[in-house]
Amino acid sequence: MRIANFVATAAVGLLLACGRPQASQANNSQAANSASPAANAAATAIVAGARPLSKDQALKIMHERHEGMEDVGKNNKVLRRELTAASPDLAAVRAAAATIARHSAEAAHWFPAGTGPDVGKTGAKPEIWQKPQDFAAKLRDFQIAAQALNAAARAGDLNAIKARYGALGGTCKACHDNYRAEMKH
Amino acid sequence: MKNHETDWHIWSGIAILTLLLFRLMWGFVGSSTARFSSFVRGPRQVLGYLRGEWTGIGHNPLGALSVVALFLVTAIQVGLGLFNEDEDGLYAGPLASLVSPDTSEKIREIHEANFKILLGLIVLHIAAIIFYRLRGKHLIKPMITGRAAVDPVAEPFRPGRWWVALICLAVAFAISRWIVAGAPPFGT
Repeated sequence: MRIANFVATAAVGLLLACGRPQASQANNSQAANSASPAANAAATAIVAGARPLSKDQALKIMHERHEGMEDVGKNNKVLRRELTAASPDLAAVRAAAATIARHSAEAAHWFPAGTGPDVGKTGAKPEIWQKPQDFAAKLRDFQIAAQALNAAARAGDLNAIKARYGALGGTCKACHDNYRAEMKH
Repeated sequence: MKNHETDWHIWSGIAILTLLLFRLMWGFVGSSTARFSSFVRGPRQVLGYLRGEWTGIGHNPLGALSVVALFLVTAIQVGLGLFNEDEDGLYAGPLASLVSPDTSEKIREIHEANFKILLGLIVLHIAAIIFYRLRGKHLIKPMITGRAAVDPVAEPFRPGRWWVALICLAVAFAISRWIVAGAPPFGT
């Protein structure tokens, strides 16, 4: 249902973006190296936004994003503790994996244009909106990896969970290396 | 810190841990001037040194304070680092899983604050070396070669034994390896 939601948002984003010369031009130029038209739409939906955000709206999204990312981090720590333990608590692993998967779906709405460091305190770098296609691809990798981990956690095979956990961490790093600034609380 | 540098950060820390463990042991069984008992002195001797009443070799009583401070603060820094993890939970010191995420978070804050203290001591240390050099006393060469022009009344220098150094190094490596594995019975 989350994915359907995400695709729907992406489609809406595409429709709206087509009405904007700049955005659709960007879409075309990036189409060459993208996986699918839906991916383009996703990129546009993630970073373009339907209409300019008010300051309050922007700050609200940024707050939600911050809290969400922090929660992903916390649950990631729980996962490492459990998965390096001699006898992992599968219930805890499942809860953490489900939470991260939920946040990963929410993340589709976390990066509209106008929620960068020029608006308020954030670790999100301006590069997100300068390279929307690449950013969206990396966000998508994160979402896929989070869903895969969640599925593995439900199935309950520890080796599969550990492999997917490792893969998930890779997607976090891949994005944070370029798009996340160091941030002091 | 950028993520791809964190692996280097952690392994540098482990390397420093190994050096600290070596130096700790060498401070008991090493060369005469390396032994803590030969240079760590109380305030009276420090004041005496400042009045020019010191004729020994190796670390002088004032420098000894610097040695102890640097050793302790570096040990604290490395020790805290072992339990540290980044806020994303992507990178962790080898012992981070032994403490709760909240504890690890607090440890990270102290790790960051303590680094500033360490930097201050390093600056002081280098400033002292330059100060002595300007006054005509070379400290670095004797440190490396073990040779220095000394006061004839000073006690003779007794070098450490190579095989003792080798044993200390092996033990330091073994302890570091054990910690990297996640300590007690290798993780929780």
